[in-house]
Amino acid sequence: MKIPPFLLLATLAFWGWQSGLLWIGVALGVVIESPRFIKARFDLADEDFRRIWNLCVVLTLAVAAIVFTTNDEGGGGLISNPTVNNASNATVHTATTLLRWLPMTLFLFVAAQKFSERGGIPLSAISLTFRRRRHKTGDAAPEREVDISYPYFMACLFAAGFHPNQGAPTYFWGQCILLAWAIWPARSRRSGIFIWLAALTLAVAIGYGGTRSIGLLAQVSQGFDARLLSWMLQPKTDSKQSMTSMGRIGRLKLSPRIVIRLEPINGSPAPAYLREATYHSYHSPSQTWQSGAAGNEFVDVPAEAGGLNWNLLPSVTNHSVARIACYLNGWSADLKVPEGLLPLPTGSSRLENVPLNIVAIKMNHTGAVMASGPGLVIFNARFGGDATFDSPPDASTNLWDLSVPTNEAAALDKVILEMKISGTNEEQKFQAVQNFFADKFTYSTWQGSDKLATINATPLARFLLSSRSGHCEYFATATVLLLRELGIPARYAVGYSVHEASGQGYVVRGRDAHAWCLAWNSRKKIWEDFDTTPSSWIATEEQRASMWQWVSDGWSWLRFQFAKFRWGQTHLRQYVLWGMVPVLTALLFQIIFRRRKRKTAAGNKNSVEKFFWPGLDSEFYRLEKMLAARGVPRQPSEPLADWLEHALAEPALAQLRAPLQELLRLHYRHRFDPNGLDEAGRKLLAQKVRECLESLTRLGS
Amino acid sequence: MKLLYKLIYWNYHATSGVWYWARRRFTLAGMCVAGGFVLAGATGIDIENTVIYQSFTLLLALLLLAFAGSFFFRAKFSVTRLLPRFGTAGQPLSYRISVKNLTAKPQIGLTLLEELADPRPAFDDWLAFQLAESRRVRPFRVSQRRRKNPFRIANVKNAEIPSLPPRGEVETNVELLPLRRGILHLTGVSLAQPDPLGLCRALQKISAPQTVLILPKRYPLPPIALPGALRYQEGGVALAANVGRSEEFVALRDYRHGDPLRNIHWRSWAKTGKPIVKEFEDEFFVRHALVLDTFDDEPNSEILEEAVSVAASFACTVLTQESLLDLLFVGNHSYCFTVGRGLGHADQMLEILASVKNCADKNFEMLEQLVLNHVSLVSGCICVLQRWDEPRRKFVEKLKVLGVPLLVLIIVPPGGGISGAGGELVDAPGTIRVLEIGKIAEELVKLK
Repeated sequence: MKIPPFLLLATLAFWGWQSGLLWIGVALGVVIESPRFIKARFDLADEDFRRIWNLCVVLTLAVAAIVFTTNDEGGGGLISNPTVNNASNATVHTATTLLRWLPMTLFLFVAAQKFSERGGIPLSAISLTFRRRRHKTGDAAPEREVDISYPYFMACLFAAGFHPNQGAPTYFWGQCILLAWAIWPARSRRSGIFIWLAALTLAVAIGYGGTRSIGLLAQVSQGFDARLLSWMLQPKTDSKQSMTSMGRIGRLKLSPRIVIRLEPINGSPAPAYLREATYHSYHSPSQTWQSGAAGNEFVDVPAEAGGLNWNLLPSVTNHSVARIACYLNGWSADLKVPEGLLPLPTGSSRLENVPLNIVAIKMNHTGAVMASGPGLVIFNARFGGDATFDSPPDASTNLWDLSVPTNEAAALDKVILEMKISGTNEEQKFQAVQNFFADKFTYSTWQGSDKLATINATPLARFLLSSRSGHCEYFATATVLLLRELGIPARYAVGYSVHEASGQGYVVRGRDAHAWCLAWNSRKKIWEDFDTTPSSWIATEEQRASMWQWVSDGWSWLRFQFAKFRWGQTHLRQYVLWGMVPVLTALLFQIIFRRRKRKTAAGNKNSVEKFFWPGLDSEFYRLEKMLAARGVPRQPSEPLADWLEHALAEPALAQLRAPLQELLRLHYRHRFDPNGLDEAGRKLLAQKVRECLESLTRLGS
Repeated sequence: MKLLYKLIYWNYHATSGVWYWARRRFTLAGMCVAGGFVLAGATGIDIENTVIYQSFTLLLALLLLAFAGSFFFRAKFSVTRLLPRFGTAGQPLSYRISVKNLTAKPQIGLTLLEELADPRPAFDDWLAFQLAESRRVRPFRVSQRRRKNPFRIANVKNAEIPSLPPRGEVETNVELLPLRRGILHLTGVSLAQPDPLGLCRALQKISAPQTVLILPKRYPLPPIALPGALRYQEGGVALAANVGRSEEFVALRDYRHGDPLRNIHWRSWAKTGKPIVKEFEDEFFVRHALVLDTFDDEPNSEILEEAVSVAASFACTVLTQESLLDLLFVGNHSYCFTVGRGLGHADQMLEILASVKNCADKNFEMLEQLVLNHVSLVSGCICVLQRWDEPRRKFVEKLKVLGVPLLVLIIVPPGGGISGAGGELVDAPGTIRVLEIGKIAEELVKLK
């Protein structure tokens, strides 16, 4: 099936228009179609096609390398896409640029076909398998050739579609026209043009409807997908309240799923905690910590120029950096995108290399940072200083950071009496509290009936006075309230503990969720982490790890990779760049070593041919050439003997008749006798031919 | 492991079935559109950064409409296939098919598709092939060529049918390329009508079961002087392959004293008036044995195919009016077929060779016994062996000891040599030849 005239011109022009390279597209199209008017053709051999194909492959790889090594903001000149206004996704940008350039990188190959005398491309030019098979079998039959016009047409058409969807239907209608043009030659002769047109129109109408439906479906599914993710993934942290598990019976079951991946950069230390939220007030009846009215309002953090960096503490410069990958498990009803609290090291001052598709970052005065955008965020957090962006202790009438529920006060006072710390200074109090919990309390995830609330005692009171065993929420709550009872402002913080190394960095699992206390250091005027949970809690949690945890980790890794791909956080270009190395090596091997083998094979082929056709090296053919030049050319299929008779009719050659006929006999023996000529006969033939040639030269024309 | 192989087999069975269906139901343009549809589906997932999904929907709509349009094909036909008796593996086979329109409406733009019997093997055959391949080709070894599907029987080109007038009949030429020797079953033909868009086909199948015997591929052989001399053939040509005694009549001559009375030719005596006797002469002529090794575990062995081809090449070339050729091999039983000097024709031997199969349940000694029983009759022996191992080496040694001139041809896989034959090759370079698959033609033309 031959491609209709000027279809490639129209397609290339369409591609140029859609890609913002209209004139380049038109120029390529004109060149491709020009053989319709230019009669000159190149005589390209299989080897030429192979070289052109190799050049196109190298060109494509070079373009890929250039695009991959260009920074995220996009390169200048032709590499950058003039129609892409928002380079929101570096990976997609890279891939689309490469694919959009296919019509240009493959152009030489198509032009070679159009300008060659042959109507198609030999299959071995593009297929290594086919080439190897022919090489191995030594198949000398003419190669199967394919016309690559239609594949190129499809490549151009698809390449035209690699641009952001801005809602304009130009691509759809353009491709309708071009596809109709392309399938016109294939229409059935049984049906009339009107039936063909009607069928095509119906197909276009269905296609248009489908296009619109997919757009709507994608909007719905994207929302559903994100909402589903927010429900399916681990429980999200609420910035307003944190309901504890205190006072419940049973074993705490936390997930081994990896929820955060952290990698210290440039030798920075790993942070011990990743904090998500901080709470002011404790509601004892429901064992819930709340952020209270004050400090709960989130305010936008402006992004720095470029949109990659966000400064949380403008006046502070920290030097430790950690790369953090976390999921946003909530859903923003206003922005219609996932949102969630970012787990940050204490003292984080700046977020760097934040994905460009982050819509907003907000923070509140209690130290929670909320991000909205993709479901997975990978960023660098700069941390390490003493200063934090938490508000200082509440100085309002409520004194949130010093308030203690009245029903817990009695138990706390008893404990303070037991600790005997009246009259000590602030540092001594911290130490006493730390020692008190370390010496007299144990960590346990099992909550028996001894922790249940009774009429006279809250779960916290029973923890402090009788059971003295519990999980981190007990310790953190008790510590916060104890410190407050001692007059030290304190807050309840939730987040994760970072302790499990993995490769270059750390992984944080669902079971590493932790609660601890933020205590106000009145001397330094900063909030400090104050964790009284016995350090054995980590070992206790790890003991409960399943022997199949590696399966779960593998799944988590897959989910993470998928999420990176799904939310545009991949390093695909790096992978592809490294993946190209073996490809390039193979190509170089192909170009350099294969050619040498081909030469060897060509040598073998000649020897085989000699064997098949003995006598083709006969010197008599030189005589034939010379005699033919005297005006008696030998006709195709004319026997040599007949032709020689014609040639010897020339009177000037009368004296050469006998030697020439003798030579012909020798030649025939050399050519057709199964025993061939012996060495002496072979020499005689060569010598006689030389003599005849000299005689002919002397005779002149 | 067997379950895994079963899963792979089912996958192969299903995918090859789907591919066969797609190739018949879609035209070339339809295949291109379907390919574009798959490509658009793969690249158009991101509907925010590309608009390829718009191609996806349009191509899907085109395919759906074309498929729906291919259901309307109401016509009746009858076909007659003018098929030759034989074809040759690897050689195009052309034949004509006559198509008759049984309706009162003209039919144009039809395509004829041959229906071959389902070539997909049973699980056991498929497994045997896979295991043999896994033994031959090391995993992840890209430089070693895996064999092409040995179960594929033939390639058939679709034939365009000229316009059919109402109740008229036309003939069309079909070209078939047999890929394997054996019996090729043709179950019927399908007449295909494209939909208005020209992407899908409606098929109407007409049953027309027929068979054609595909003879083995042959290689050109140079005029070779086979080993061996004239041998006395007791009983002459007619009885050379039979039993009993007889002598061949040569001429009449005058009676000499001592001639047996039973040789007197009474009619001549009556005509001439003096005693005339009949003179006899014993039959001496060349008789060769062509020994084919059929002992291998793999039923569809590539080496067997090549061995059969080599044997067929000799069967076609060696025969002259002056010699006999015995084909000796073991199948279900031990077989010996003799052709030459009017006893049979090369075609018959090719027919036999077309049906030869490997026998995995017998051992090489059976063939050895057959040849040794036969060796006293033959002038020389051509052995086509599938490998070179101890039993075969001993077999050749025995023939040498018996003084039988030999030509031993050992077929080896591509790139494979033979081990243990170094001494023999050096001692008798013309006697033992190694034929590497892919270079067999080159090696055979070197025979003298």
